[in-house]
Amino acid sequence: MRKRPRLLWQLYPSHLLMIVLSLAAMGGFSYKALKQVWEDKIVTELRSQALLVARLATGKISPAPAADLDAVVKEIGKNASVRITIVDRSGTVLADSLGDPPRMDSHAVRPEIKRALKGEIADTMRHSFSLNTDMIYVAMPLEQDGGIVGAVRLAQPVSPPARFLRPFWNEIFWAALVIVTYGGLMTLYVSSRISKPLRSIREGATRFAGGDLQYRLDVPSSEEFADLAEAMNAMAAQLNARISTVVEQRNELEGVLSGMVEAVLVVDTNERVLRVNQAAEKLFNIDARKVANRTVHEVIRNTDFHSFVSKTLSAESPVEGEIVILGDPDSYLQAHGVTLRNEAGQCIGGLVVIHDVTRLKNLENIRRDFVANVSHELKTPVTSIKGFLETLREGAFQDPQHAERFLDIIIRHTDRLSAIIEDLLSLSRIERYAEKGGINFEVGAIRSVFDSVSKICAVRAEAKGVSLDFVVDEAVSARMNAPLLEQALVNLVDNAIKFSESGSAVKVSARQSADGISIHVEDQGCGIAKEQLPRIFERFYRVDKGRSRAAGGTGLGLSIVKHIAVVHGGNVTVKSSPGRGSTFTVHLPAIARNANG
Amino acid sequence: MRVRLQRDIEKLNKLVVSLGALVEQRFRMAMKAVECRDADLAGKVIDGDIEIDHKEVDLEEECLKILALHQPVADHLRYIVAVLKLNNDLERIGDLAVNIAERVEAMSQPEHVRSPFDYYTMAQRAGEMLGNSLDALVNRDLDLAYQVCAADDDVDYMKSAMQAQFINEIRKDDIDAEAMTNMFLVSRHLERIADHATNIAEDVIYMITGEIHRHRGADFM
Repeated sequence: MRKRPRLLWQLYPSHLLMIVLSLAAMGGFSYKALKQVWEDKIVTELRSQALLVARLATGKISPAPAADLDAVVKEIGKNASVRITIVDRSGTVLADSLGDPPRMDSHAVRPEIKRALKGEIADTMRHSFSLNTDMIYVAMPLEQDGGIVGAVRLAQPVSPPARFLRPFWNEIFWAALVIVTYGGLMTLYVSSRISKPLRSIREGATRFAGGDLQYRLDVPSSEEFADLAEAMNAMAAQLNARISTVVEQRNELEGVLSGMVEAVLVVDTNERVLRVNQAAEKLFNIDARKVANRTVHEVIRNTDFHSFVSKTLSAESPVEGEIVILGDPDSYLQAHGVTLRNEAGQCIGGLVVIHDVTRLKNLENIRRDFVANVSHELKTPVTSIKGFLETLREGAFQDPQHAERFLDIIIRHTDRLSAIIEDLLSLSRIERYAEKGGINFEVGAIRSVFDSVSKICAVRAEAKGVSLDFVVDEAVSARMNAPLLEQALVNLVDNAIKFSESGSAVKVSARQSADGISIHVEDQGCGIAKEQLPRIFERFYRVDKGRSRAAGGTGLGLSIVKHIAVVHGGNVTVKSSPGRGSTFTVHLPAIARNANG
Repeated sequence: MRVRLQRDIEKLNKLVVSLGALVEQRFRMAMKAVECRDADLAGKVIDGDIEIDHKEVDLEEECLKILALHQPVADHLRYIVAVLKLNNDLERIGDLAVNIAERVEAMSQPEHVRSPFDYYTMAQRAGEMLGNSLDALVNRDLDLAYQVCAADDDVDYMKSAMQAQFINEIRKDDIDAEAMTNMFLVSRHLERIADHATNIAEDVIYMITGEIHRHRGADFM
């Protein structure tokens, strides 16, 4: 309802004013005309009355004014509303219906008298101060014997009797009231016809502004408003379409960014974070909602990263760099950064894409170590063999004692070489067979495996003074390849013996649970440091290079164990405390219900 | 004028967080060097200390500049005072990381040393406290700051336990006294680092609440 009074109040007063003005004008003109008519009427009446009075006065003025002239005039004028004055040729008042002639001064200068004495029938209108009203004077010359002997003047007040005009005013008043009321109603109607469609258009515009672009305006009847409403509807439809497109594009972009494996970060020129994708959230352990608009320094506390971002923003061409996140374990990242530029070519921010190359780096390290280790492992015995052979060649073979000793050493080294190569072959065989499916699995009792392991390792255990305990329930069985499992356990027990002190015990046990069989090999040896644990199953990896080679290992034992466990569908884990001992556990999967041999 | 102050404060913020990140990184590197007996990594930590020292000086100069130019009041003043103070603690942590790295150099023997000390947990805890105190600074997280203060007791306890163990072990014969002493010293450095992290947390509490949280004793929490 707010609009209506405003428009109404704008229209109504002006219309009202117009009506009132026209009424007033009309009233004014009518009144003027009416007054004119009235005055003319009075003049005409006065004139005819003057004529009658002139007749009466004939002979009474000249040669000498009659004595009863004044009485007669007074008599006549008594009942009339007219004032009669008779003056002589010089203007002296001879008779007056109201006044006392001797006391009245000369009327000669009165214009109508003056003119009448000249022979004219004159009429004027003057304001009479004595009576305080406008008066119409009609003066007529009195002729006698062909000459002017005086004048008779009749006067009457001008204002028409109120009685006469009252109905006039009444009618005007009622007419005005009716017209004003009617005008008011018409104005109301017209303004509502304008303001109603305007209101509905405004409502529509408000709804569009509020985001409801589906709404369509009703089209009003008048042409201008109809055009406006249709134009607005068309605008809403277009806006809607454009916004849908933008939203769709944004969703696509979101989808692409969140599906990416690489971490993506967008920063502005002040090094504030604008966007991060899901992969970045995971990599840096941050929450996208909390990081918006904070500086890179606050969000990711890594100096490599900070300097990379600065470099990106200040560089002309894309930059590449490495970032290390120290942790447990370390992450190695490869970062690519590029500036974002607007159409004018100014830098408006930076884009950083990060690949997690930790795994690659690890594999690289493993490969590098492996190659170095293999070369070293193979080279050492070969060098020794060569050395001793050369010494023999140069003449030592002639000294039987020395020759024999040297040959023993050569044999030992050759055995070692052979053992390494055998282990390597064994490893690759297991891998190959596992791929080709050439390994036989049967369900068998773990106990029998333990028995053979015990026999194989007994000699070494006794030699070192380490006791072996085998604990297993008769019923525990698993789907396995017995020779392979035996080999794995022998390796584990051998290691246990190797790293245990004399007098300590090595315990081998097996337990069956719902998800499978676990075989534990426990020792009380020197243990393995935490950071080494992930790497001990790698080929040739040694925790302590000097010690285990001296004890005769090839460095491949644990990786063989791991492969055998994997081939069985299980895995091998280790728990260790430096100084207290280690426990290696081989997990084998449970026997499936309908497994066939 | 307020805009310029705001900009300078932001710049200061960046410097602080930057220094914090650098110190954190050095600490982690030092601990890694100890675990892996990596003398090269230890060398990097020792050489990198000068960068921390320079950053500390820059930070202090920036604080003084803001105080002189803008004469800040209320929140901003508390912030700058807190930064001035924790600047020192950060630099000390950097120095302690160097001390730890120096132990590595002394310990990088080829023989595998049997160590009864498992200071891995202690190092974890100290690292966590440092990280949390910096998080509390950046996020203005009062609860986290209080947590750091409370965690200091655990680290002190661990250090006492290790001290007792050390005294016990050193009485035995046939031990590598030098290596053992170096290990023990590492645990002392870790305890000092935890103390400095607590100081940082206390400075953060001051920055947020205006209360000075020091020397209130164990019964406060």
